[in-house]
Amino acid sequence: MLEVKDVVKSFKTGDHTIKPVNGVSFSVEQGTFAAILGKSGSGKSTLLSLLGALDKATSGDVLVDGVNISQLPDSKLTAYRRDDIGFVFQQYNLIPNLSAKENVMLPMEFAGVSRAERSARAVELLSQVELAEETHDRKANKLSGGQQQRVSIARALANRPKLILADEPTGNLDDETGELIIELLRSLCQEKNTTILVVTHDQALARKTNRRFRLARGKITEITQG
Amino acid sequence: MSVLARSVGNAFRNKVRSGAVVIILAVAIGLALSMLVANQAVADKITSLKASVGNNLTVNPAGSRGGQGGGEPLTAADLSTASTVAHVSSVTGTLSLRLSSNASTTATAPGGQGGGPAGRAASGTTSLVSAIDPGTLGNRANGSTSSSGGTGAGSTAVRPAFSIPIEATGIAGAVNAAGVPINITDGTALNDFAGTSAQALVGSTLATKNSLKVGSMFTVDDRTMTISGIFDAGTAFDNNAIYLPLTAAQTLASRPGEISTMTVLVDSIDNVDAAKTALASALGSTRVDVTAGSANLGSAISSLSSVQSISLIGFIAALGTAGLIVLLIMIMVVRERRREIGVLKAIGASNRSIGVQFVFEALVLVVMGSVVGAVIAAFSSNSIVGALVSSNTGTTTAAARSGRQALRAAGQTAGGFGAAAGPGGGRGAFAGASRLIGTVSTSLGWQTLVLGVLGILLIAALGALIPALLTAKVRPIEVLRGE
Ligand SMILES: Nc1ncnc2c1ncn2[C@@H]1O[C@H](COP(=O)(O)OP(=O)(O)OP(=O)(O)O)[C@@H](O)[C@H]1O
Ligand SMILES: [Mg+2]
Repeated sequence: MLEVKDVVKSFKTGDHTIKPVNGVSFSVEQGTFAAILGKSGSGKSTLLSLLGALDKATSGDVLVDGVNISQLPDSKLTAYRRDDIGFVFQQYNLIPNLSAKENVMLPMEFAGVSRAERSARAVELLSQVELAEETHDRKANKLSGGQQQRVSIARALANRPKLILADEPTGNLDDETGELIIELLRSLCQEKNTTILVVTHDQALARKTNRRFRLARGKITEITQG
Repeated sequence: MSVLARSVGNAFRNKVRSGAVVIILAVAIGLALSMLVANQAVADKITSLKASVGNNLTVNPAGSRGGQGGGEPLTAADLSTASTVAHVSSVTGTLSLRLSSNASTTATAPGGQGGGPAGRAASGTTSLVSAIDPGTLGNRANGSTSSSGGTGAGSTAVRPAFSIPIEATGIAGAVNAAGVPINITDGTALNDFAGTSAQALVGSTLATKNSLKVGSMFTVDDRTMTISGIFDAGTAFDNNAIYLPLTAAQTLASRPGEISTMTVLVDSIDNVDAAKTALASALGSTRVDVTAGSANLGSAISSLSSVQSISLIGFIAALGTAGLIVLLIMIMVVRERRREIGVLKAIGASNRSIGVQFVFEALVLVVMGSVVGAVIAAFSSNSIVGALVSSNTGTTTAAARSGRQALRAAGQTAGGFGAAAGPGGGRGAFAGASRLIGTVSTSLGWQTLVLGVLGILLIAALGALIPALLTAKVRPIEVLRGE
């Protein structure tokens, strides 16, 4: 269960303040596949970073299974990011000098998973996102945009998080591969009861979700029709 | 992929920059190690110079040395005063006499220039014949040739052949006036120290000249002495001498209780200076001269000490520079990788594991720098020591170096902490006043190694810790921003 209560995030730029997230409240049950839509610059990535504890909200609360992460100490936040959250970045953000496989193994290393297990799971995840075997040991900065995006998704799934926050996970993929990723995420919701929040412009993806929200002028509204 | 492997990988990410950093680090660390080696070599030299003097102090009447010069003689009372001074562990007194041969008594009362060392009146006679031929030097010093002065219508003209007097030293033990044990080559040391004792030690050349063996007899004034041993002091002059029991010498010369030189043994080398001052004030600094070692020694040691402190400052400065290089480069690296640090945090890395990764990365650079630096030190430390020592002893003569190469950078440890050196050492011979300094050989002792390791660890700590702490300040949100 994810609950967002009156969350505000403001940035000071020069002499005026902007509030891309200005009083957002919503809640989704565990195992929900939800989409967040909105124009470019409407604050979608900002909201996602607050939910993933990458940044602190200016005010308001984010509760995950009843725990207010806005008030957790740093050490607990590290554990939260490591164990409970899978984050797919809009810019992929792989470690450029590590191979695809090493990138996927990284979160498991932080979680203390044994080397053999890390390696096996990384291979499994990479094949789930249909990354060809021969690219597993390729340096991340030598992969194509779509390949990087898929590695980034595999990395987000590594520690079997209960909440996946994906910022345009299909933005760089062809329709067929995009479809595959959507199916992968959907099956995680259904089989593993994972809550998934995707930010997307992809209508095909949005249609597959259980719930859809629109972010505009700092406020969020649920899209009920369609 | 472990943290360590990742750190090594990161250290080589920008190969050109890392290479440049390693070279600069190597120069700084090499310089630091050279300075450390120089410091140790000089420290060793100082210790050995001090040890060569030993713990002995020599007390003479002010203005005299041995049986020469002027001043008032020392007495038995001075002996007991000296023995009560702090840090003094033993005091021995000796009395120097000059004996002229019976055969040439008529010839040895010199007039004229009485100040010459050989020109003093003898304090007794002996049946022994001097083993040293006066030669040109002896005759010149004794005015036997009438070349001096224009006034000379007189005394110098009819002087017959002069003979070098025989040095007789009254001793109370087995050491000579300089506190050095007498090297007896035949027979035994003196053991009867009574006033009536008839024992004597005779120098080897004197024994040969007079055809004497252990057990042979000769006379000093009117006493017949028996040779208990023959000694070798190393030089012809010193071997033209005899040793008598102190009280017997005092009796024979009719100078009871009189002492010409006191040798004071101090409990430790470190206390020599303190004991020297204390002795001078106890005995009266205007009455006595207290000396330690040779006059050159003080200046040799002080110039070496300045080399020692220069090299220590150089060591610290070079290490500091190396630390600064690591610090700046790592700060640069952390700034450059802000976004990546943000990613690591966003996917669950703790501050500690990121900090450790950066410390390792700095360590990799430092280790490579020290390996190369140790090689540099191995080739340069000898010339650095030579240059430091020669410039500080004011010698213009370049160090004449023997072919031996001093420092062999054998076996870098896995941690790369400095170099273990094989035995051996370079030598620099310096002219003039610095002859005493002689050779300063460079070799690495374990103290140097430990100090080097500590220094380099300090570099690593200093250079890595601050940037590593900076990584803790990077927030995970940097992942969405960053350049
Ligand atoms: N650190 C910051 N400082 C100042 N302004 C910021 C900061 N982060 C985001 N913003 C502003 O907040 C607004 C929302 O940014 P955000 O990245 O959330 O947009 P978005 O909805 O994800 O857009 P897109 O669909 O293009 O990715 C933008 O106007 C952006 O300029
Ligand atoms: Mg965005």
